[in-house]
Amino acid sequence: MLEARLETANLFKSAVDAIKDLVQDCNFDCNDSGIALQAMDNSHVALVSMMLKAEAFSPFRCDRNIALGVNLTSLTKVLRAAGRDDTLTLKAEDAPDVLNLVFEATAQDRISEYDLKLMDIDQEHLGIPDTEYAATISMPSAEFKRITTDLMAMSESVTIEATKDGVKFSSTGDIGNGSITLRQHTPVDKPNETVEIELSEPVALTFSLKYLTNFCKAQPLSNQVKLCLSAEVPLMVEYGLEGGSYLRFYLAPKIGDEE
Amino acid sequence: MARTRSKGGPASTSADKTASTTAKAASTSTYTLPAESTNPPKLFVLPKNTSSSARIITLENPRYGNPTRYLVCPETGSFYEFTKAAPPNKSTPRSWLLSSEKSEKEPSLESQTIQSPDLYLATPYDPLFLLLPALFKSSSNSKSDNQQRQYLSLDDYLDLIPNTDRHFSEILTLPNSRIEKVLEARLASVCDLVEMGDDKMYRPNESKLSTIILSKASKMAENLPPSMEEKFIKKALEAPVMGVVKDQPPPTTSTSSPEETASPSASESQSTFTTSSGTTPSTAVTTPATEEAPEPTFAPAITASPATISLQRLRTSLNFILSSYLPPFLSKTVLSSLPSETFTELEEYLTKLSKLRTEAAASRNIDINGGKRARDEDDDERLEKKRKMEQEEKVKKANTSRGVKQLAKVNTAGMMKLSAFFKKA
Repeated sequence: MLEARLETANLFKSAVDAIKDLVQDCNFDCNDSGIALQAMDNSHVALVSMMLKAEAFSPFRCDRNIALGVNLTSLTKVLRAAGRDDTLTLKAEDAPDVLNLVFEATAQDRISEYDLKLMDIDQEHLGIPDTEYAATISMPSAEFKRITTDLMAMSESVTIEATKDGVKFSSTGDIGNGSITLRQHTPVDKPNETVEIELSEPVALTFSLKYLTNFCKAQPLSNQVKLCLSAEVPLMVEYGLEGGSYLRFYLAPKIGDEE
Repeated sequence: MARTRSKGGPASTSADKTASTTAKAASTSTYTLPAESTNPPKLFVLPKNTSSSARIITLENPRYGNPTRYLVCPETGSFYEFTKAAPPNKSTPRSWLLSSEKSEKEPSLESQTIQSPDLYLATPYDPLFLLLPALFKSSSNSKSDNQQRQYLSLDDYLDLIPNTDRHFSEILTLPNSRIEKVLEARLASVCDLVEMGDDKMYRPNESKLSTIILSKASKMAENLPPSMEEKFIKKALEAPVMGVVKDQPPPTTSTSSPEETASPSASESQSTFTTSSGTTPSTAVTTPATEEAPEPTFAPAITASPATISLQRLRTSLNFILSSYLPPFLSKTVLSSLPSETFTELEEYLTKLSKLRTEAAASRNIDINGGKRARDEDDDERLEKKRKMEQEEKVKKANTSRGVKQLAKVNTAGMMKLSAFFKKA
């Protein structure tokens, strides 16, 4: 059986919130190393990969590998009942029909318990190789969110151009064009506002803004977001979590003639 | 036995006359139609051998107790009842067109049409039936009091016959009337007789009555009208046609002909059925060759033996007589005083038949219902599937987040599928 307890429901809430706008149903694959999730959107141009390592939970117990087929909208509905600071416990049998969720508000001695019906989901797993990206940009997640939202006003797509000087997000649309450039920046007193660019070679790729704004819904998970780019490979957007856990999004670049 | 004559009733003739006079008065113009008669003549078929003293009188109907007209001829002492022959099909309008021949003997009747297509037939009637209510009325409530019934004279019984219009007494008192003699003879046939000097005293006897009724019935059964034969004999005894004849002797045993002829084969009795003449099945018809030929798959499950058929005829006739001529209380008495074994064979056959009919009806119901259900199930399944699909779609829509819906609108042209970059695990 599975029993996984999170100190704060916030992590799980935000993760599910971000994923549910990309995919409808997906399997939570639980094994002794943690809870993993991989799913593609309907168009198969974006992929979400989540890994919640066993260390993120206390305690974590998973006797067998279980796939919990969940409709994410339904899960969101249930999670809405959880307070941000409630402790969250996920429980499931070895061959489960339901996922049991318990929210405990320690302050009020309030315990709410929900059973979520599970479903069988046929899902193909993609093997994602470890890639040496040409450019890795670390930046505040709030900043990334702001850029995508701002540029959405101009166009549906954004070109991310990483150079030695910085990273430039630019969009050209019907009403004109706009761009935001971020330079490397490492404030000692505010580590959360660090902008770091690791570059092996300059790279410029165009992506769908709609997808990127969707990814940004994971912003509450982490203060920092990592964008990894290489020519002609999908962009990886990573929200790193404590203890090696992560939520990653992959998005295929727009190739060829634009507009 | 009879010839057609048109004759209005005593009341109608006078009315007819006035009608014709008014008609004459009205016919000033050549083309004016005479007014319709309020009491048009009726058409009767009357017996030939009645004397001029014959009268139509009103007596109480022994069966129904209502006043009914009878034709009585005092000289021959014969009674006739009137039977109305109505046209078979009511929807087709019919009328009589009357035109009389010139003859010296009878006053000729004006040629005319009669709107009503009815024809009244005077048919011989046993006056015994008229006596029956008076005979058995006094002691109708208790059955076993044959001994307690009193011996009464004919006059006493005649007094008991309802005589409201005094028609009956008048007929009795007509000169050279044979009515009383005839009635006495009929009375004697159903009564125990004791002679006390010159007086003959009668006491009704139920078993005698039963015998007489039964003999009447058997006489009637000899020659049933075709319509009754069809409805009450053929239809009543017809067994449901079964798809497969189960009680077939295996073809190998059919070489021994005596065994077969012992029981009438299906086809044989069927032929007696259709001819309805009640001929006994001739064993000569049954040749081994026909027996060996495969029997028709569709044959009645059972067929009535000639004895059964004649019994059914007898019963039908008896029921007819009992229900048309005898007072209701007497019908029961007569039926119960019949020997109990009279209709045993018929009863057995009918029980078997009703069982078969129920089975056939049941199997037919199953057939119909089965077919219907199968079709319904198909429909149901399809509907169910459709409903399920719709519901699933609905649920899917409800369970799809706004984000996913919006992403579906994103132009992904120029974006390669991720499976192009990442291999399947």
